[in-house]
Amino acid sequence: MSGRRPVVYPDTTAPLRDRTREALADDSLAANLRAAGASWGTARARISAENPFAQMRDRAREIRRGDIGDLPELLDRLEERVRAAGGVVTRAADADAACRYITDLAAARGATLVAKSKSMATEEIKLNEAIEESGLRVVETDLGEWILQLAGQHPSHIVAPAVHLNKEQVRQVLMAESGWELPTDREALVAHARTRLREVFASADIGISGVNFGVAETGTICVVENEGNARLVTALPRIHVAVMGMERVVRDWDEAAHILQILPMAAIGDDAAGYVNLITGPRAPGEADGPEELHLVILDGGRSALLGTDLEEALDCIRCGACLYSCPMWRSVGGQAYGSPYSGPIGSVLTPLLEGMEGERSSELPFMSSLCGSCHDACPVGIPLHDLLVRVRARVTTTAHRRDRARFRLWSRAWSSPGAYRLSVAAARIGLRLVGRRGWARRLPGPGAEWTSQRDLPTRWPPTPPR
Amino acid sequence: MAADTAALSEGLLAALARRRATGAVVDAAGAAGAAAAQAAQWGVTRSLLVDDPVLEDLAIGPGLARDGDGHEVLVWPEGRGRGWRELLGLEGPELTMGVTVPRLGVAERGTLVLETGPGHGRSIDVVSMYHLAVLPASRLRATLGEALVETYARDGRPPSAVSLVSAPSRTSDIEKISTLGAHGAKGLHVLVVADR
Ligand code: SF4
Repeated sequence: MSGRRPVVYPDTTAPLRDRTREALADDSLAANLRAAGASWGTARARISAENPFAQMRDRAREIRRGDIGDLPELLDRLEERVRAAGGVVTRAADADAACRYITDLAAARGATLVAKSKSMATEEIKLNEAIEESGLRVVETDLGEWILQLAGQHPSHIVAPAVHLNKEQVRQVLMAESGWELPTDREALVAHARTRLREVFASADIGISGVNFGVAETGTICVVENEGNARLVTALPRIHVAVMGMERVVRDWDEAAHILQILPMAAIGDDAAGYVNLITGPRAPGEADGPEELHLVILDGGRSALLGTDLEEALDCIRCGACLYSCPMWRSVGGQAYGSPYSGPIGSVLTPLLEGMEGERSSELPFMSSLCGSCHDACPVGIPLHDLLVRVRARVTTTAHRRDRARFRLWSRAWSSPGAYRLSVAAARIGLRLVGRRGWARRLPGPGAEWTSQRDLPTRWPPTPPR
Repeated sequence: MAADTAALSEGLLAALARRRATGAVVDAAGAAGAAAAQAAQWGVTRSLLVDDPVLEDLAIGPGLARDGDGHEVLVWPEGRGRGWRELLGLEGPELTMGVTVPRLGVAERGTLVLETGPGHGRSIDVVSMYHLAVLPASRLRATLGEALVETYARDGRPPSAVSLVSAPSRTSDIEKISTLGAHGAKGLHVLVVADR
């Protein structure tokens, strides 16, 4: 059984370079990403101006650093309090263990339909595939996630999964699902989805949600959302299964209140999420709704190995998605090109760390950054993402990267000798004159070819203005 | 109403209004009329109420039932007997309203704190098409931190569910443009009831 399912998407077969090229050539994708990035930027700028964002961010960073520092203890407390409230807690070492726990539970309870609200952890462990393999039906109920499930695609953004599609594309997907003719009208499409998904809420046996964070003090699970589907998923079905990455714990309600306020500011540029569902155990005696059973699955999946290392700060992440919107790379190619549920700067850090350093994604993603630092500026918990990217890069050990590194070492050694430096500059000057025409080299041979495939190189300094 | 309570109500309603919720401060005598007027404006024909002395004192249920013909009033938990299909609006009337009494209201950034209990179903506001919240002004707090610490401070088992509600149900999943009524209530109206 083990090794059957790698932690992160196994189904991306095209190399990263091809995927990004394809994404760059897609005009409608570019327009959708541009619109999304701009709308986030405007809202975020307004909310940062209206609130003491810088101070709030310092406090949030302090909170998360402290929580991760005490993680083992906080997790124990959370587990104990969830149990005391009548919930069942299980710790899953990896994706397989988590999926197996959930599919076994579903089988034992004779479930047939599973309703899900948005959860990155379940994307990470590929839970939907596991549930379907076990013969059950699983339906995503977050509108964006549902659209993607119907389209057979993966999320392109942590918070706004279907941000790469426009409304005509959405309409096509929804018409294919229901066979009904639908207008290209946002309101009508949303109303249509509402009705279709109510059928799912009315009959699902199990509701599966993610967890934004668990509050150790009382054993409470927080699920943050704007649509209301997470409440329905956690209130109507007989059984609620919550899947939580093990780092998503805060100490007490004072900390929780702070994170609950900065999260929507960073994520959607609003000072409150529409709904926050705070769940402590299953329904209490005398209550007429809420699940009879609550299961909390705490997923390790490579996280505990980061504790105490120089990459630990990756665990501070509260999955707001701000670094994605802020990233010039993500804004150019979108999340799908990354081929991992976690895209953008945090995805480029987390994917290799959770998936292991082998494999194409892990060796390429950390290099998909210009290290401009905009992600660090955007991050509500102040993770130095650019530093983490550099540290992850240093761990990449494919042959190509080793060769690259050897080349750079040679180069640096050569240029530390003034004679060799002057000699190489003279040689380059002659070489450039030979290949250049009217002051510009348009196509360089060898390692320079990548450069000139995108832009020309001046052969004189200062460059002659191009004609 | 005391000056600080007035400021808190104003803060709550202003913050909610930025997220396209509506609301008003009313006195106890006017609450039932205001609730009925809001129901009429939404075209609601069935309401699902929490079982709470605040609603009884203000006679909200009778006020709604009087409003026009055939406005049906259900009270939790008996109303739950209708089954999810009906409560979700898949069968029977579609224009439904959940009426809640929040445990607390938060002025800064505008949030309602709904606490679950035998008379307070956790799904009432999201199964319905509209949400009317009736909040006694004395329950207003300045900050979310204050409200949450208070909610979870008491001894014994904490409430099995607390819902923070700060907006009507909305989604930005289609082209990042916010659209109301995704899964929960399409409209949120808050009546802050001034203390007698
Ligand atoms: S790294 Fe920071 S900005 Fe990026 S998703 Fe995590 S919390 Fe948000």
